[in-house]
Amino acid sequence: MPTVRIRDASEYPEPARKLFELSKAWFGHDFASPPAMSRVMAWDPAFGGPHGRAMKRAMAPGEFTRAEKEMVAAVVSGVNACRY
Amino acid sequence: MKEDALWYEAAAVVGITNALNVVGDGLPGDVLAPVAESSIGGEARAVLDEIRVFYGGEVPAPFLTLAADPPYLADFWGALRHAFDDQRLTRRLKEALAFAVSLTSRSRFGTALHLGQMKRLGVGERGLMEVLGVTQMFSSYTKIADTLQLESDMGDIAPVDHSPAPGGPVSEP
Repeated sequence: MPTVRIRDASEYPEPARKLFELSKAWFGHDFASPPAMSRVMAWDPAFGGPHGRAMKRAMAPGEFTRAEKEMVAAVVSGVNACRY
Repeated sequence: MKEDALWYEAAAVVGITNALNVVGDGLPGDVLAPVAESSIGGEARAVLDEIRVFYGGEVPAPFLTLAADPPYLADFWGALRHAFDDQRLTRRLKEALAFAVSLTSRSRFGTALHLGQMKRLGVGERGLMEVLGVTQMFSSYTKIADTLQLESDMGDIAPVDHSPAPGGPVSEP
C-alpha cells in the first residue's frame, strides 16, 4: 500500500492535468486515470518537469529505438527489483 | 516488443550477465586465481578460443576461473553464447541490456566488458549516452516508486501473448 495518498487527477491544478493528457500520448494508452507515477511526478513540477524531460530525451529514438529503450528500462527496473 | 519470446530472450541475457558479473567482481585473482591460459588444453582450450572470437580478441577473466572445471565452463559458455547470439533480439541490443544491468548492479567488471562490446559492435557515443540515460532515469523512477510503495497500475498496457511455448501445440481459438 502506498505510503502517501495518491491524489485523484481532479485534485491537481490545471497545468498538471494537461501533463496527464500528454502522458496518455506518451504511453499510447487511454488510462482510466493517470498512472500513479505520473501523479507523483506532477506533485512538484520543479522536480517532475526536468525529470520528465530528461526521461523523454533519453527514451527518444536515436541509435536505439524507443522499443529497445523500453526493454532497457524494463531490465533496469528488474535489477532494481521494482514491481511498479 | 509484443511477443513474450523477446522478453524470455532478454531475461536470459539479464540472468547470465549477472552470473558472469558475480564471478568477475566477486572473485578477483587474489581470492581465487584463474587458471593460467598456457596450462589449458583439450576441451577447455577449444571453448576459450571460441570465447576469444566472440568477444573480439579477449577472454574475460571469469572464464579463466571457470576453466578449472572444463565441462562446467563448456555448459556455462554454451548458455551465455546462446543468450547473447543474434536471435529475435540483436547481439548489439543484448550488449546494451547487459551494460544497463551491470551498471545498475554496480558491476565494474560487467560495465567495462559490455561498454567495450557495445563500442566494438558499432554503438557510438550518442548510443552509449542513450543507454546511460535510460538506465539512470529508470533507476530514479524505480526508487521513487519503491520509496512511496506504489502499486503497479501499468500492467494492462501490454497485450497478452497467447502463443504456446516453442514447439508446443497451438490451441484453437
